[in-house]
Amino acid sequence: MEHKEFKVKWGMVIDIDKCTGCGACMVACQAENNIAPMQDGSDKTMTLTWMLVYELSNGKPFPDHEIAYLPRPCMQCGKPSCSTVCPVVATTKDEEGGIVSQIYPRCIGCRYCMAACPYHARYFNWYDPKWPKGLDKTLNISASPRPRGVVEKCTFCHHRFMEAKEKARYEGKDPLKLPEDAYIPACAEICPTGAIVFGDLNNPEHKVAKLAKSKYAFRLLERLGTDPQVYYYSKREWVRRLADNYLSTEKTKGE
Amino acid sequence: MAKGKSCLVLPFLFGLVGALIVGWWLFPELLYSKKTQPIRFSHKVHVEDQGMSCDECHSYREDGSFAGIPTTEQCAECHSEVQGDDPAEKKFVEEYVEKGKEVPWLIYQKQPDNVFFSHIAHKGIKCTTCHPDVGHMDTPPVYYEDRISGYSKQTMKMWQCERCHARRGASNACYVCHK
Amino acid sequence: MGLDRRGFITFLVGGAVGTLCTPIPWKTLDDVSIWSQNWPWIPKLQYGKRSQVASVCKLCPAGCGLSIHKVGKRPVVAQGNSTHPLSEGGVCPLGSCSVRLLYRPARVKGPLKNNNGKFEPISWDEARRILSEKLSSGKAACISGDENGSASEVLAGFLSLLGSEDFYFMPSDAQVSAYTWSQMGGKGQIGFDLENSDYVLSLGADILSSWGTVVRNQKAFATRKGKYIYAGPVQTGTAAAVDEWVPVYPGQEGVLALGIAYYLLKMGKGATIDGFSEVKNFVLSKYTPAVVEAKTGVKINKIKQLAQELVAAGSPCVIIGSDFGQGSGSFDWTSGILLNLLLGNVNKRGGMVLLPEVKVVESAPSRASLSKNVLGEFLKNVVSGNKKIDVLMVYDANPIYALPQALQVQEAFSKIPFKVGFSTFLDETAVMCDLILPAPHFLERYDDAYTPFGSGKVIYSVAAPVIKPVVNAKSTPDFILEVAKSLKKDLGYKSFEDVLKAKASAVGADFEDLLSGRTKVSNKWVGQNQLRLSVEILANGLVPDTEGTFLAPVARNYLGNTTQALTPTEVVVVRDSELKGRDLYVQVNRTTAKKLGLKQGDKVKLQGAGREFVGRVNITETVMDDTIAVPLGFGHEAWDEYVRGKGDNVFKVLSVVTEKGSGFQVWNKSQVKVVRA
Repeated sequence: MEHKEFKVKWGMVIDIDKCTGCGACMVACQAENNIAPMQDGSDKTMTLTWMLVYELSNGKPFPDHEIAYLPRPCMQCGKPSCSTVCPVVATTKDEEGGIVSQIYPRCIGCRYCMAACPYHARYFNWYDPKWPKGLDKTLNISASPRPRGVVEKCTFCHHRFMEAKEKARYEGKDPLKLPEDAYIPACAEICPTGAIVFGDLNNPEHKVAKLAKSKYAFRLLERLGTDPQVYYYSKREWVRRLADNYLSTEKTKGE
Repeated sequence: MAKGKSCLVLPFLFGLVGALIVGWWLFPELLYSKKTQPIRFSHKVHVEDQGMSCDECHSYREDGSFAGIPTTEQCAECHSEVQGDDPAEKKFVEEYVEKGKEVPWLIYQKQPDNVFFSHIAHKGIKCTTCHPDVGHMDTPPVYYEDRISGYSKQTMKMWQCERCHARRGASNACYVCHK
Repeated sequence: MGLDRRGFITFLVGGAVGTLCTPIPWKTLDDVSIWSQNWPWIPKLQYGKRSQVASVCKLCPAGCGLSIHKVGKRPVVAQGNSTHPLSEGGVCPLGSCSVRLLYRPARVKGPLKNNNGKFEPISWDEARRILSEKLSSGKAACISGDENGSASEVLAGFLSLLGSEDFYFMPSDAQVSAYTWSQMGGKGQIGFDLENSDYVLSLGADILSSWGTVVRNQKAFATRKGKYIYAGPVQTGTAAAVDEWVPVYPGQEGVLALGIAYYLLKMGKGATIDGFSEVKNFVLSKYTPAVVEAKTGVKINKIKQLAQELVAAGSPCVIIGSDFGQGSGSFDWTSGILLNLLLGNVNKRGGMVLLPEVKVVESAPSRASLSKNVLGEFLKNVVSGNKKIDVLMVYDANPIYALPQALQVQEAFSKIPFKVGFSTFLDETAVMCDLILPAPHFLERYDDAYTPFGSGKVIYSVAAPVIKPVVNAKSTPDFILEVAKSLKKDLGYKSFEDVLKAKASAVGADFEDLLSGRTKVSNKWVGQNQLRLSVEILANGLVPDTEGTFLAPVARNYLGNTTQALTPTEVVVVRDSELKGRDLYVQVNRTTAKKLGLKQGDKVKLQGAGREFVGRVNITETVMDDTIAVPLGFGHEAWDEYVRGKGDNVFKVLSVVTEKGSGFQVWNKSQVKVVRA
């Protein structure tokens, strides 16, 4: 599939060294995107967690052990593995901003995309969402509720992009030249340590563009060639090393 | 043989014409249920008699979203009490304003929840390109509800959106309109 | 002309051809595909105008400012108020759930009366009549979980007017620190000016995960000027992010503080407090590096290094606290305060600061005097019959679940003939009450937070209701004011809103300004008189350990807290290494597991305080040697299907020790026996 370039490329830089694994991003995501609560959350094959915080370990025994937390949204790959395998064009990467779309009514639930995604960022609705009585009154108007049988994933709170564009139009500004804080996903907005930074990777003025160029910045499984728009940042070598499959003789990126 | 042949043309035509009549006349009659608005809202009274402009009620909000149909609270800015002798107004005040309820207006162009339609992005296009020209009507038009899909007959379909976007050179990317 | 078979078939063919030229097949196909996506049980979105209103989170004592996103009249999402000094736009996972909690299935829907085990709905008028009658003839007591709200002031003031002094806060570091500080002759509320510190040493307090003003701590950490060090038994979220984690056995942080103090004293550091020379000699002789290393598990070199770094720092700050926010004793706090005094950073920029108290309900006792009321002691006296209480009111607290020695708590409850639960949710305590009088969710009521514990500044925030109560709930302080009126007791206010207005003017803020989300912030510190310190308290650290493995309860906000059980939305945040199905994991490292003969997934019993806790073993190197870490927040028996029956409650096996010299009950140094189940 052809590789599209966009004028605006929304991206994230997640500073792993600042993440305390508190889970606020996950909860904010659930509420923002109308994900119904589940009774059993420990079976991670059944849950819907567009944003998921992984615990990383340096693998050493106590007292040399170290941990870090890695929040994992959809990587919004430049060359997505998921959209190329979709038989019904329910997921594409074609809009300005470079967010990989997911259209629920079009999805036939074949889950090829889930198999294709190397980041486990896609989730299948095994059941219809169950909203306890009254809880549907807290539904956000930004995200459409999904029935069972369709795949869903993080959209970088894409509706906030649409809303920001509307506001810019109302104020007579260019909707494609948004100021840095006009559009921020819910997870980045809520993060208590500000570990998640969001902006346009193509705009050298934006913080993300600067951070992504740091020698401590890296992406997950970079050498697969998926070209993710989510960058991570860590000064800890062992964290960076976990992000890709290195040969024992290879040097970690950033060293 | 000749007799037999002429015999076959007629039933074919009967079948064909019958099906066309059923399909083009009876089917739509059966498919759509006719509904009237819960309150007979007269645009004419508001626009012609009171001289109100459209955007006094149908305006953009500060966040750029479109307000659509005003809320009961907004209507009550004038209609906190019955103003005239129109029974529809009396019904509105008694059943909605006094009880603090929203009127379940039937929206002719209602789109499903997975559609994000930005009015302000379509600002240059006349409202009546998509909406019925109700501005001077005394009685709102009949609302045809599709018995199978549950949507309004007048709702725009995706191909119509796409056609217009294509003609105008606007993007047809999924996330331009979907959420 | 008759219709033969061929004619009929031709007719059908004509019909079929005609039908294909009509919308019937195509339109039906299209409509059916749309119909197949419109299941009635998939909710439809309710559109409206978007707006944002300010609120203050009352789900924990951190008092974060929230920005509630609304659509029409409905609140939908909670984000942080970016102008609020305690949240700066951030929120913890619990606060992030706050909107959805409005409709938590466990909400109490209206006033209920316990009729021999069956709860029957009653009216608010009847509830007031019943409670007024009970209070007019009996002796009352109150337990409150609201550490910094004026609602507690109303309750305490009301009790005073009834002639009772039995007002108790749920145990917390806030209470222990206030008690300790007042015993030392100090004035004001202890706070930590993290924002201006260039070296933060947190002894025990899990500052970035659950302790104190947690979101503000995280914000301060993100813009830190220097090093952050965390000493605790478990590699928590705090340990993951800070510059250095110093493993120390659970509850031994006070000993570590004295170990550091040893070096500071050796370096000639001093403090002008009464009894200093005695304290100095005591620390130098009893808390020698070797003793401290043995007690805490921290190597001598590390202790020395910490002391040197603290001295070298420009504005160091030492925070002390329990690993899980409660159960610490006066010893821990005295040691931590002593360390700050030796560093000379008390009431200094970036150090430990003392913040003034504000009180507007005249009859209410001061915070300092309330801090002397120890809940555990009270319950013990009720059980033994030394204290006779007729009416117990519980506000915003769940003592049946969240106190150690649950059996004693239950026994105390059974000895009190009439209990009233002012609870938003049907928790373990509410179901044991005779009257359940639902308190509104904080988004449905007026409420406030005055200088949450840990804050380095005076911060007063007030919130107005965001939505009308979605159940038949009534603001507890308003209800208390009504009851007071019917008993002819005058608290001096007509409504709770008036109390808040009075407090706003007492702190010099404009009430409307506060409601709009602007907070009152002041950097005023309380000057101190001569402080004193006794050696008796400091000796508590020398009590020898008992047998067994050290128990390290771990509090994380995504697991709920002592008042709010794990919320439905947070269920998916729980890791599969914490809970599997209904089995809770206890965490041990490989060395400990080997020592105890445990393997991954083994079912184990932890025995302590005469009770048992059941869990499964997860082997992880995030826990120090000889220590078993257990998450708090599980083993609920009430609430709803999202938490009920999941895991076990670690409070059951926490052993309580009465501290010498203070009489405080301490349970942050529990040890358990681990056996295979």
